Amino acid sequence: MAGGAQDRPVALVTGAAQGLGHATALRLAADGFAVAVNDISDDGRLADLAARTGGLAVAGDIADPGAVTAMTAEVVARLGGIAVLVANAAAMEMGPFLTQNRAIWWRQVEVNLSGHFRLVQAVVPHMRAAGGGRIVLIASGWGVIGHPNATAYAASKAGLIALAKGLGRELGPQGILTNAIAPAYIDTEQLRVDAADAGITLEEMRERYRELVPTGQLASTGDIAAAVAFLAGQGGSAFVGQVLQPSGGVTRTRA
Amino acid sequence: MSEPERRGAKPPVALVTGAASGIGAETAAMFRRRGWRTAGIDLRPSDTDLSLRCDVTDAAGIRSAVDEAAGQLGGIDAAVSAAGYYEEGIEVCDITREQWDSMLGVILGGTVNTCAAVLPHMIARQSGAIIAISSELALAGSATDLHYVAAKGAVLGLVKSLAAELAATPIRLNIVAPGPTDTPLLAADSLWRKADYLATLPLGRLVRPGEVAATVYYLATEGVMYCGEVLSPNAGAVI
Repeated sequence: MAGGAQDRPVALVTGAAQGLGHATALRLAADGFAVAVNDISDDGRLADLAARTGGLAVAGDIADPGAVTAMTAEVVARLGGIAVLVANAAAMEMGPFLTQNRAIWWRQVEVNLSGHFRLVQAVVPHMRAAGGGRIVLIASGWGVIGHPNATAYAASKAGLIALAKGLGRELGPQGILTNAIAPAYIDTEQLRVDAADAGITLEEMRERYRELVPTGQLASTGDIAAAVAFLAGQGGSAFVGQVLQPSGGVTRTRA
Repeated sequence: MSEPERRGAKPPVALVTGAASGIGAETAAMFRRRGWRTAGIDLRPSDTDLSLRCDVTDAAGIRSAVDEAAGQLGGIDAAVSAAGYYEEGIEVCDITREQWDSMLGVILGGTVNTCAAVLPHMIARQSGAIIAISSELALAGSATDLHYVAAKGAVLGLVKSLAAELAATPIRLNIVAPGPTDTPLLAADSLWRKADYLATLPLGRLVRPGEVAATVYYLATEGVMYCGEVLSPNAGAVI
């Protein structure tokens, strides 16, 4: 779609090479968006995905301010604007608070919170120029209720929740609606990281997480992508500053 | 022809209380447009496939109406408890016993009766979604309408607990807590319609009934991971 998105609204999804971001990009494309997709690098998966979403692959590190500016400019130049931003990319590494390497601790905040803050800064002028837009910040149930050995991740995700509430109030009057989604346990690649941290197999990890969920189910990436699509779509027009929690009953509206 | 009929499947069924006006009517209409069959329970006739006139405070009446709807339409896939009314501008000491009892009877009692009548059908089929309409006022409190706020708050506790009690089943119960919505429930001189109040909302306007209906529809169709949640299409009234 080098010729632009034609009459389709444009969405930008970060962290889209796999998992939730990948599913979200495909769902938004099915709902009629031209979807630009980002991840930290492109091993071919991003380009393949962009071909399926009628959008554009824009690889780059969300924590790198220069990359954020360049990516935003490229999407706007090639596709004609950004109507929906889905802030999904995340760095995640578990470790005890007192002994986790400080650089690793802060890297999670840099990507998840500060990086997406700068991306919002870059995207909002284009939404303003278009008279509105939607921003969906992917937070986490751990940002709502905390989790052992995940202080950096939880802090970054709780920060995103507060950012959604502040941006909701500040940008809502301009027609830019910001909301967050705080899922709990999703069946994605991330479970491998958690399993490694716990020293158990992937299937044991799945079972352990299922036991933490009142409904006994892990969310599919499609379940959470549907929440993004709802907030980005026509039906979400009265939501601002809210935190959707499709968590299987883990958080029950504590954010 | 509806989407489900085109696919040759039996259309899903939605039962809506308070279906004759406002949020209930808009919700029933949205389900219908998307190919569902609808049963409406209201004191007045509703524009639904099966209009049943019944008072939600009448437990036995609601049980019969729900059984009739399930029998005629073939089960109940989604039930929406939207029946209610609103009174404002009454200070705490002036709320009469009758006003208090009536408000709790309709809003909390109506939701209790609807859940009690619908759940046996859903449990028997091991499937279904119940969505109760509460209010943003129940989340943040309000003044001079505290019988309404107390009743809507009680609905939150009821539905969250029922959701937890039924979490191990495939039945999902959730709440939609709209902001002030442009329906006949808000009188023309309501405080919530005044320009100085609306100016405090990030979106600067009342919520439209269709926005509440869209939230209910989303929960009923793609809300499998919501369990005891509150979704708030509220124009920013409570953040």
